Amino acid sequence: MRALIIDDSSVMRKVIERALRQSGLDLTEVVEASNGEEALEALRKDAGSPQKIGLIISDINMPVMDGLQFLEARRDQQLAAGVPVVMITTEGSEPFVLRAIAAGAQGYICKPFTAEQVKARVMPLIEAA
Amino acid sequence: MAASQAKQPEWIARLDSAVFEVFEMMLARNCSPAEIADAIAPCISARILFSGVIDGECVLFASESVARATAEALLGIPSEPGDPMAGDAIGELCNMIAGGWKSKLGSDEAGCAISPPSIATHDGTIEVNAHEGIRRFYSFEGHVFGVHMNF
Repeated sequence: MRALIIDDSSVMRKVIERALRQSGLDLTEVVEASNGEEALEALRKDAGSPQKIGLIISDINMPVMDGLQFLEARRDQQLAAGVPVVMITTEGSEPFVLRAIAAGAQGYICKPFTAEQVKARVMPLIEAA
Repeated sequence: MAASQAKQPEWIARLDSAVFEVFEMMLARNCSPAEIADAIAPCISARILFSGVIDGECVLFASESVARATAEALLGIPSEPGDPMAGDAIGELCNMIAGGWKSKLGSDEAGCAISPPSIATHDGTIEVNAHEGIRRFYSFEGHVFGVHMNF
């Protein structure tokens, strides 16, 4: 599976990738983006790919375009429709969670997190997709 | 300011809890309060701004070697001098501590927004004897870093 990980911290992108691999996910490639704008561009390029991105993990607080703006733009532009999106963020308050879900996020994990929490939220979405 | 000062003991307890939680869950390390230092050697700092219901900042500062130890603990791989991941690790540590601290507030105050971290490097020592706000030092495996919160 190919996954798109969006976070302005390169360290956190690596930490999330490691947690996904520890969850048992067979990742063939990880596409990295440091903000929502880069992520949208990655999804546009991915549209013609034979093996499409099958999972999107996104932070919320990012410069240029944040995670919620990314979700809304992705929905409006109909990019990667049906691909599970899980937010991993420090923003755990209800308004953020509700807005993320309304914009298409299926999972929500608050930082700090454990690999077990990532597995519990992500794997059911992958199996159902 | 008076209201903020009245809440300081509670906010310190929440800060300690947020720091310990981040280290336990993300770094698999024990972290404990440390003696107050007067200055931190040439170092890296990360700043998060709070805005909205609460206006203020959270600044985390550490030496370059402590930043590298943090990157190693987060990533599980060695970090060499000059590693750009070191500053990034301090930024993410600050982000998670500020976010964890915010999440432990009451529902009204937790509605404040937090900014992405801004990271800076400093050639000289940083004086850390600020007179306002919360200032705490922590240690993990002998590595000491500081957190300053001001509102």
